[in-house]
Amino acid sequence: MITMLPSFDLQRVFIEPWTTGFPITIWIVVMGILVGTACGWVGNYLLLRGMVLIGDAISHSILPGLVIAFVVFNSTHTIAMFAGALAAGVTTITLIEFIHKRSRIKVDAAICIVFTTLFAFGVVITQMLNTGGAVHIDAECILYGEIAFVALEPPVHLAGMALGPASVLRMAVISLVSLLVVMIFYKELLITSFDAALSKSMGIRANVWHYGLMLALSLIVVSAFEAVGAIMVVAMLIVPPMFAAQLSRRLPIRFLLTFLHSCASALLGYHLSVWLDCSVAGAMVVMGSLLYVIAWGMTSGSRIIKRWAPHQQEIVPQS
Amino acid sequence: MTRYFPPQVTLRALLLLLLIALLPVPTVADPNSPPIKVATTIGMVADLVKQVGGERVVVDTLMGPGVDPHLYKPTAHDASRLASADVIFYSGLMLEGRMGDLFERLSSAGKKTYATSDSVDRSLLQQPAQFQGHYDPHIWFDVSMWAQTVPTIVKGLSEADPASKATFEKNGAALQAKLKEIHEWCRKKAEELPREKRILVTSHDAYNYFGRAYGFKVVGLQGVSTVSEAGLADMTALVDLIQKEKVKAIFVESSVNPAAIRRVAKDAGVSVGGELFSDAMGAPGAMREGFDTGTYEGMVKHNLTIIVEALR
Repeated sequence: MITMLPSFDLQRVFIEPWTTGFPITIWIVVMGILVGTACGWVGNYLLLRGMVLIGDAISHSILPGLVIAFVVFNSTHTIAMFAGALAAGVTTITLIEFIHKRSRIKVDAAICIVFTTLFAFGVVITQMLNTGGAVHIDAECILYGEIAFVALEPPVHLAGMALGPASVLRMAVISLVSLLVVMIFYKELLITSFDAALSKSMGIRANVWHYGLMLALSLIVVSAFEAVGAIMVVAMLIVPPMFAAQLSRRLPIRFLLTFLHSCASALLGYHLSVWLDCSVAGAMVVMGSLLYVIAWGMTSGSRIIKRWAPHQQEIVPQS
Repeated sequence: MTRYFPPQVTLRALLLLLLIALLPVPTVADPNSPPIKVATTIGMVADLVKQVGGERVVVDTLMGPGVDPHLYKPTAHDASRLASADVIFYSGLMLEGRMGDLFERLSSAGKKTYATSDSVDRSLLQQPAQFQGHYDPHIWFDVSMWAQTVPTIVKGLSEADPASKATFEKNGAALQAKLKEIHEWCRKKAEELPREKRILVTSHDAYNYFGRAYGFKVVGLQGVSTVSEAGLADMTALVDLIQKEKVKAIFVESSVNPAAIRRVAKDAGVSVGGELFSDAMGAPGAMREGFDTGTYEGMVKHNLTIIVEALR
């Protein structure tokens, strides 16, 4: 196992990425932070609603959307695929809500029913299109972007100034959408997320807010897939909010922690991927999860200490 | 080359640096200048580039031995390999999936990036009847078609290193002659089998051009992609075909899970003839059947030899 690890070289792992490798490093890390933050913020609400699995669900249920978009447009161009994936994402979420509201099925089961059915439907229609090896319809090949390559994209120019790679700019806009959704709908989302009955009595139409959030969510998730692929998005909807929830009960603090967690996992993950020469997205998720484990260990550790020593508090003289 | 960035460096400076990093590197017209750096996607492209470039190039292959291009996961190091390359060659025709988009954008932004399949005669490419314009990308299995990619390589290398243009053209011509010989060798080898015995059953549809060039009827099990699984009806139909046509052996591929084809072999009562290389070559120097499967020539000859021997 130890021999499998490349030797740790401080110069190569930490110094070079920020000197000669700077133009590549900066955009990969910025992209990692943007994806983590955009997904993490909406993830905080999903966590309150017990719907964090929705990212994984959408990553599967986009398949029929891709196949149908391919047949309609006769193209695997990214714009066509994006449209198909977005339509499938919105359909997934609407179906989940419909099943959840109109039956006794709990929301996690509703998510599973919808995404497995849509995915299976996608597999069936993929095999009906016999393209003889010429077209590869799967999200990995035709939709998912790659975070390692963002810095290679030619920069977008605005008024003569180079702004940055197009996909990073698009993700920045998506993060802004995520931030706006969180800020504008803060109170409504908070109340509707915690207590649907209370919000009804207060005259907040829970359904409208919920669908609004879910529409924004499918846009964020599908855009993030297009930018960096599935693994990172699925994880970043869950891990940063879990980390934040472990450390604080207050929602505004959780948003701040989510952002900090995204920064730390993007940075540490990038260096891990340089060290091991492995997938960048995978390494970022590994580091994000490690941070969660540390936060969990720390909080449960302090709880155990408190439980062990309740009498100590009595001994301490009050001042 | 070490650049130092003070911590308070402004965003504008960063963006400018990015722009500089992406600008094409000017070429030096000196035969003693260091060799040009070439990045390629699949090994089959790299092999030809090495032969055309000779000592004037250092070739870096992103997708190493046994890596399926559809499942390739790049690393940060791969990004810097691409960024620091003077020239990039990829196969094209959507073989590299969304990486192809990136290459097209790099090309239009002025980076020397070439799809080697660009110089292949479009009328030779196969496309499914329902989906015109989506070409089958597995062109390297027809050696005469793969030879048509040489002009793009010669052109790309000459643009990156104009001083060595004559060398590249000479090597390119020699390579095309060599590929023609390999093609003839393959034709002769295939003819050792009577036509009715030339039925190639494998796990995915990568051998359409191979079949057309060397007179094999090609039946793939997997169909659409290396990711999708074979359907039950596909398997039953395949077993029927193998028994009806008295096919003696079927084949697994190095970059595809062999489980389904093993099952078919068992059901049809035939042997698995061996492992073919499809979307990736073998490791450099990995000898099989007396061929170095880490080279394009060795891979092609190895595949054909085990097919002919098993079906004989």
